[in-house]
Amino acid sequence: MTVTQTATLMGVDAAATRRRTRTTGGLLLWIGEHALLVALATLFLFPVVFVLLTSLMNGDQTLTASLWPNPFTGENYARAFTDAPLAQWFGNSLLYAVLATVFMLLSSVPAAYALAKIRFRGSNALFLAVIVAMLLPPQVTVVPLYVMWSQLGLTGTLWPLILPNLLGDAFSVFLLRQFFLTIPTEYADAARIDGAGEFAVLWRVMLPMARPGIAAAGIFLFFRSWNDYFGPLLYTSENPAAWPVAYGLATFRGSHGTDWGITMAMTLIVTIPIVIVFFFAQRAFVEGVTLTGVKG
Amino acid sequence: MITKKRLAAAAALAAAGALALAGCSGSGGGADKPASAAPTHLEGTVSLWHFFSDREADVIQSVVDDFEKKYPDVKVEVHSGQDDEKITKAIAAGKDVDVAISYSTDIVGTFCSSGAFIDLKPYIDRDKVDLGNLSAMPKSYTEFDGTRCAMPMLADAFGLYYNKDILQKFGYTAPPKTLSELETMALQMTTYNKDGSIKTLGYNPLMGWGENAAAHLGPAAGAQWLDDKGQSAVGADAGWPELMTWQRDFVQKIGYDKLQKFTAGLGQEFSADNPFQTGKVAMNLDGEWRTAFIKDQAPDLDYGTAPFPTADDHTDLYGGGYITGNIAGIGKGSKNPELAWALLKYLTTDTDAVVKAANGLGNVPTTTAALQSPNLSLPDQFQTFLDIMASPHSDTTPPSPVGAGYQKTFNDFWTKFQSGDGSGLTEGLKTVDKQINDQIALTTGP
Amino acid sequence: MTAVTQTPGRTARSARPGAPRSRTARKNGWIALAFTAPTIAGLLVFFVYPFVANIFYSFTRFNLVSPPEWIGLRNYVYLFTQDPLVVQAALNTLWFVVFLVPIRIITALCIAGLLVRAKRASGVWRTIFYLPSLVPPVASVVAFVFLFNPGTGPVNQVLKLFGIDGPLWFNDPSWAKPSLVVLGVWVMGDIMIIFLASLLDVPTEQYEAASLDGANGVQKVRYVTLPALAPVLLFALITGIIAALQYFTEAAVASGVASGQATVGGGTGTSMGYPENSLLTYTMWLYVRGFANYQLGYAAALAVVLFVVAGIFMLLLLRRMNAFTPEGAR
Repeated sequence: MTVTQTATLMGVDAAATRRRTRTTGGLLLWIGEHALLVALATLFLFPVVFVLLTSLMNGDQTLTASLWPNPFTGENYARAFTDAPLAQWFGNSLLYAVLATVFMLLSSVPAAYALAKIRFRGSNALFLAVIVAMLLPPQVTVVPLYVMWSQLGLTGTLWPLILPNLLGDAFSVFLLRQFFLTIPTEYADAARIDGAGEFAVLWRVMLPMARPGIAAAGIFLFFRSWNDYFGPLLYTSENPAAWPVAYGLATFRGSHGTDWGITMAMTLIVTIPIVIVFFFAQRAFVEGVTLTGVKG
Repeated sequence: MITKKRLAAAAALAAAGALALAGCSGSGGGADKPASAAPTHLEGTVSLWHFFSDREADVIQSVVDDFEKKYPDVKVEVHSGQDDEKITKAIAAGKDVDVAISYSTDIVGTFCSSGAFIDLKPYIDRDKVDLGNLSAMPKSYTEFDGTRCAMPMLADAFGLYYNKDILQKFGYTAPPKTLSELETMALQMTTYNKDGSIKTLGYNPLMGWGENAAAHLGPAAGAQWLDDKGQSAVGADAGWPELMTWQRDFVQKIGYDKLQKFTAGLGQEFSADNPFQTGKVAMNLDGEWRTAFIKDQAPDLDYGTAPFPTADDHTDLYGGGYITGNIAGIGKGSKNPELAWALLKYLTTDTDAVVKAANGLGNVPTTTAALQSPNLSLPDQFQTFLDIMASPHSDTTPPSPVGAGYQKTFNDFWTKFQSGDGSGLTEGLKTVDKQINDQIALTTGP
Repeated sequence: MTAVTQTPGRTARSARPGAPRSRTARKNGWIALAFTAPTIAGLLVFFVYPFVANIFYSFTRFNLVSPPEWIGLRNYVYLFTQDPLVVQAALNTLWFVVFLVPIRIITALCIAGLLVRAKRASGVWRTIFYLPSLVPPVASVVAFVFLFNPGTGPVNQVLKLFGIDGPLWFNDPSWAKPSLVVLGVWVMGDIMIIFLASLLDVPTEQYEAASLDGANGVQKVRYVTLPALAPVLLFALITGIIAALQYFTEAAVASGVASGQATVGGGTGTSMGYPENSLLTYTMWLYVRGFANYQLGYAAALAVVLFVVAGIFMLLLLRRMNAFTPEGAR
């Protein structure tokens, strides 16, 4: 099911092709729909266009009423790296996102598998706990967690945000469990009949088949970590060496005056890694998205 | 495996854990008595946390370098760009915060009462530091409730900056002395674009912009914040309604929306685009540090400084202004308080250090010795601020356990008031009173 | 017992209460424990413990520098009767729940529907509407505040071309939240994708059957499309509400950037909520109280109240999910 949905979205558009042959409403409606689409698309592209234009402007021109760069300058992109420790922020974000994802996979995949494929007492209660933890606003637990981390001396670093993933991430467990449910058990059963232990079943049989789901969960956590602002605000604000991109970008404009040209250049630079990851991982991405939403 | 009973047990364990951990917090520290005599040889590493950045951070660094030269076995680790929030976080987390400098007196109340800054009295007494050397007002705002937990490190005074060229263009030779004069002159000097929007302002009365804050305007009418018991005196004071009405009328005369639009497009306060420095605003309420910024970023600007105008019926107060200052203290988690004290003493009382910092930052020295030093080299326009410091009509915001909380409550009300229809002033001020007192009660009450 | 009879998928419990568990069931139990141990530990340490501890802290006065001091219900009294901004913060958050969530969902649905109808459900068109949701939230907020600068920003400049005098957007208390809704609509791509998948999944036979019954376009939407989408819509609604209850990043960054205050000396907390506390959400107020004013006990009390409100929506979603998620292993 999820596989066909993904295929559908990816353009192997069987159903849509069938519908292509029926035009309901006629030419006028077609024009109307497309005009509306064009208008909406223009509106949606508007911010991107102007951010791009501003990033190519001189600093002085950014706060004037003129919208077209005059002259065009690419210096903002270079200065984005020299005026602010953008490279260091990238490094921190990468550290945070990569480690969090790796740790999450280590801890959450087995748990999700167990919840999906192993019958054991308390699995319902555990799953319920996972869901509740997933839906809980983080602010409900932030005070004691902050106290705990500060007593461990880890504030001012990204570790309070990375380490908890070693002990599972609720949303990822949920996602992976939903995914594991879609894998037919016959494969696992066959392996068990051959005498494989549960761990071997997981490692050699299930994991290879679960690659899309694992990729999806990994990508979701990667993005969530990359975009996290509240966490770094809380735990790294007093240590500029540990600032990730999200926090750095929001805070950089504080100290001595915002150069909007550079800031706009930064916004684009900061978006690029995500866009790249997305284009390489589209399939997994959409897979994950449908896992969370479509079947409820 | 996961039964209700086990879940309950886990919860109970968690609760016990919480209590245990909570009890652990704020451990150690306490009042470590200083050694009976100051160490003769200083060595080790000491950390300095401050909020400055860029040019100003360089000034601090050069003073620190002098300290390191004087004590070659000492290394100072500087953390710049640390505002109050971050310093509080660091001290609370028990990090190595030896000496910390804050930009204002806001945290003195909280830090002294909670012990985040240690009590300096034992060190002061032992080393016989002459507190009489400190200027009067800075001396008073660095202690709270009898505890001295901070030393003043240069002070700030607020006054009026005016662009001589623009004033001359409109036929003015002297800066305004009363609020009415300020308003008249400003409205005259405001120019507009063809479409009616503002081109340049004579003076920007918008509350919340730049240094326009209740605290900075208060001395113009002798308005008070707290009474002797530390409770709110805002509602009972006659000065505040006067100031607020004047300010709101001023805003309305120009047009609130127009002002907002214009203000949103103004350059940042501490950048070279500063509106006063670029001539977009002719007169401005600002601190004495602006002279250093102008010297650095707009050296050709022909400007003058004067005490800020007073309310029309308080002309006797002319010459005073709002005073605050940087304060410095020793963090409670400091592992080397002797070394920290040595650095603190150097930064705040060593005449050469104070003069060097004052010259570089363009701040007012806080020791009499530094004030009289021949090495003090500040622009002519700076004299105004030295006079304001010495003026008996100047005032400051008293330290309180809620820190800057009472100012925020009042500023919130004022910003809403300036865009409203002008009603509800008295009731609003009474509500502000109550909110401030409630806050204080929550922090310190039974 | 062979492995076959242990096939998960039988909905009956494998053990009657009181009966000794089979050897395989016990073995399964140990294996499951091994696999789930980290997650269980994580739940205990990062969920159960702080949740309980938070309740404890809410009865204390705690500034992190000195040990917590028990003050009983004092925090709650202040919260419900004396806190000048908690009501506004709660209302602000509620505003986002009521306006941001439905508007995003409706826009996403309409655009998804439009894409499907125009047979443009893939490729460039879809990417244009989806890509904004990939932009890191901080980046998109900073960009939007700049673009919507009332004096010199492109938005008002373009509006001027049409003769419209643009509002003050992020600098106007009545427009600040709607400005964030505009941002929220721009990034609705993440929900749109889900709707797109669901719309394409509706079997054409249903539409054809409806046509045969004489249904027109609107009726088809009402009687075929919407019911088919109901689970997804509900899911998007409830998760959207839960997210709106925690709304923090966009509001915090927007008020910081728009206020233009160099955060010299004061800290991030000082500009939160600009203009005039119109962007102060409940979680921002919690942050200000807890981590700018260092009233951690009070912040804990605010957190407890947040949990109660969020808990209601969580329960709703749980009931929903139970209806769709098969219990345990299949």
